Amino acid sequence: MFGKTLLAVAACVLVASPALALPDWSGVWSLVGGTLYDRATAEPKDARAGDPGAREHPPYTPAYEAKYRENIARVAADRFPDPISTCGIPVGFPRVMQVVDGYEFVVTPKQTWILTENGPNVVRIYTDGRKHLANDLIWATYTGDSVGHWEGETLVFTTIGLRGENGTIVDRTGAIISDQAHGTTRLHKREDGMMEAVITIEDPVALTRPWTVTKLYEKLKGDVRVMDYACAENNRNPVDASTGKTLTLGSDGKPIDLDTAKPK
Amino acid sequence: MSHHSFAMFEAKKEVTVSGTVKDFQWTNPHSWLQLTVPAGGGKPEAEYSIELGSPNTISRQGWRKTTFKPGDRVTVTIHPMRDGSPGGAFVSAKDAGGKELPAQ
Repeated sequence: MFGKTLLAVAACVLVASPALALPDWSGVWSLVGGTLYDRATAEPKDARAGDPGAREHPPYTPAYEAKYRENIARVAADRFPDPISTCGIPVGFPRVMQVVDGYEFVVTPKQTWILTENGPNVVRIYTDGRKHLANDLIWATYTGDSVGHWEGETLVFTTIGLRGENGTIVDRTGAIISDQAHGTTRLHKREDGMMEAVITIEDPVALTRPWTVTKLYEKLKGDVRVMDYACAENNRNPVDASTGKTLTLGSDGKPIDLDTAKPK
Repeated sequence: MSHHSFAMFEAKKEVTVSGTVKDFQWTNPHSWLQLTVPAGGGKPEAEYSIELGSPNTISRQGWRKTTFKPGDRVTVTIHPMRDGSPGGAFVSAKDAGGKELPAQ
């Protein structure tokens, strides 16, 4: 009888073995640094995405460098509508890895979810062994199709099926990638307690070599809870559909002409 | 592209057209079948724009990006456009051999 009990206990220990232990990524996290995607190559060095003329230096092919420069000019003219300013559209991958407001990294045995307060947005990473959607099934989306596996306590996931030229905006400098982009992200909690995502994009159409960017997130202290973020609520920056220009509304709801507005 | 209501289709009417697939757009928020329908019954040749559901929805009913291929000859039943323009909401389709699509 004792022997059977011992066997049962041993069986339980084996089932709960370290191979199934998943890391504790609980809490609400916040992106460190601004929303210019590749800060290491930012020009000027302290440029913020959205500043006129601000850019980074992705390893673009000549064709995509040309497209980027057109977008940089559009940004400077307030004529670059993007998922943030048009509201209600997913920010897409890889931009979902660098939005403001709270992040939650929710680990479950068969999926990990990256939930952003801003948007909101959800990245679902399937870790149940399934492969990417087949070619005759996959369709282009903002967030893409992500599958991954655990290497110890690091989640390694790949992302494909992005919209590319038809909707993927990397950041508000106007950076883009093609629909052939393939992301590999290594996500883990560092020794110092920060979450770190090392994101590598390979894109045979847009890039001449892999493009790797690291994003860091710090844990927010205290009673932090994630609430609604509603882009369309009191949105003072609608896009004028007839001109493609992003407007700035005054407190009376009328567009301000930023070119002639004088400080009070 | 904004999402729209179904008021643009005549929900109570069904029309069947046969033609050749020009393109099958496997996209959100709706997939679209572009069908070249030859002249007939007093009407000239026309390209029909036939709206299906999103890939999210129809892929779970067996549809694939490759279910319709350019050049395929198909017969499609639709709720036609209220304004008479060539197109409508997808109801059902059969391939050249008369088999219901998608093949299960």
